[in-house]
Amino acid sequence: MIEVSDVRVTFNKGTPLEATALHELDLVVPRGQFLTVIGSNGAGKSTSLNVIAGLVRPDCGKVVVDGQNVTDWPIHQRSRLISRVFQDPKMGTCEDLTILENFALAHGRTQPRGFRFAIDKTIRERAAERLKLLKLGLENRLNDKVGLLSGGQRQAVSLLMATTGETRVLLLDEHTAALDPKTAEFVMELTREIVTELKLTSVMVTHSMAQALHYGDRTVMFHRGRIIFDAQGDKRAAMQVSDLLALFKRDQGEELSDDALLLG
Amino acid sequence: MSLYELLGTVEVGLIFGLVALGAFITFRILDFPDLTVEGSFPLGAAVAAILIVNFGWNPWPATLVAAIAGFGAGFVTAFLNVRFNILHILSGILVSISLYSINLRVMSGPNKPLLGAHTIFSAVQGWGIPAYILSPLLLAVIILSIKVLLDLFLHTGLGMNMRAAGANPAMAAANGVNVGRMKLLGLGMANALTALAGAMFAQSFGAADAYMGIGVIIIGLASVIVGMSILPVRTIAQATLACLFGAMLYRFAVAFSLNADFLGLKASDVQLVTAILVVVTLVGQSSRSGMGKLLKRKSS
Repeated sequence: MIEVSDVRVTFNKGTPLEATALHELDLVVPRGQFLTVIGSNGAGKSTSLNVIAGLVRPDCGKVVVDGQNVTDWPIHQRSRLISRVFQDPKMGTCEDLTILENFALAHGRTQPRGFRFAIDKTIRERAAERLKLLKLGLENRLNDKVGLLSGGQRQAVSLLMATTGETRVLLLDEHTAALDPKTAEFVMELTREIVTELKLTSVMVTHSMAQALHYGDRTVMFHRGRIIFDAQGDKRAAMQVSDLLALFKRDQGEELSDDALLLG
Repeated sequence: MSLYELLGTVEVGLIFGLVALGAFITFRILDFPDLTVEGSFPLGAAVAAILIVNFGWNPWPATLVAAIAGFGAGFVTAFLNVRFNILHILSGILVSISLYSINLRVMSGPNKPLLGAHTIFSAVQGWGIPAYILSPLLLAVIILSIKVLLDLFLHTGLGMNMRAAGANPAMAAANGVNVGRMKLLGLGMANALTALAGAMFAQSFGAADAYMGIGVIIIGLASVIVGMSILPVRTIAQATLACLFGAMLYRFAVAFSLNADFLGLKASDVQLVTAILVVVTLVGQSSRSGMGKLLKRKSS
């Protein structure tokens, strides 16, 4: 479960470039919910994700994950509760390490191994077993450096790594944006399977309205640092991208001008 | 080159292998250009010399304490960078220039002779085999054991966290690695190895000197670059071996330039030869990609 309450974030505070990225944000994601987040550039969607992950410290407010107040926790400490998949496939995996070592690293998040060898039989077997899900034959390439994999393969591996171990919260930051459409769909379907199977509490930021409505069980829309739209259940199920656009126009009195949002 | 000279070069080459391993940890694993070594090398020498000569310590614990002092120096550099956000290069420079004063204090003067003192090499004297053969053998055993220990460490959970922290800090942090702590540990280890090399060098050379750290950074870096561009480095064990090999090769290049009267080189040209060796290796390395393409394009 994620609870963000009364969080304000200001960038470049005290300078002429001062900009408020989030205005007193309140957002509760109940256990097991798959939330999708949309919004144009600078709307605050990525910032809100970064506040949960610990990359951005809020000016005020509170972040609670799995019942623990993590507002003052550094990133590495939060990683015991929160997993992330980044937008850039190069970010989510470590290319100088082998596939197996990357898995072992993800394992160490909840079960640090200290002076014991990073890799043992159990981890090797578990990594192979997880990689079989991908049907990419990666389970036979455990000792290959991750740098040898394609972007899509790396993103799929990142996703498996993020869902290894005991963390129950998954943050997805436009994790299919850098992939070609076919690979993006593959990674998205994989995401759906894993999130459903493990009943993870997930937040997915996306640029695509279609994707936001198609996946998950609740959608919120950010605009200028505020949530302007929040839908789930039947209301959301009946929604089309065009409805979302109309709603945006009515509420904001302005056309949505971000091409990426319309085309996605 | 006589056998005596040859084995002397091997001995120094082995000792500087430790400096190369240190540079491997900082430059290659942590991606942290660490200049502390210019100060931690003579620090190790000074601490070992003073403990052996003035305090009458057994040379082995004295050498160990020298390494611990080196760990402290590296830790301070990393602390300045991690805690106070001082630029990594500047942190290293600050610590190494302070160490210059500290070393003068430790030795109560610019140098400390060890001639006639009981050193780690005394242990292998009087076995009927000349010391100039046994000393390099003793060093080879010590340095190879340290290499293997480092290889093993880099394969532990902690060691892998350190590798990830250097290669992809954002990803490492997202996977629960305390990146700052890895820098503290890694720089400590690298400077412990460098100080250990300084302590051994002083005992082999017969004196500790406040100026003996000049150019150590380049020696370490040159060894890593030369070694890793000549030998295959697909695994950690291969990479550390390449560093030791690079250090040895570097010492032979120095010995060559010291002996190359026929080329018109003088002993004082050593630093210039070092710089040229590094440049040639770097150019040779990049010619496989950048430079090579550039040259090909011009010729076609």
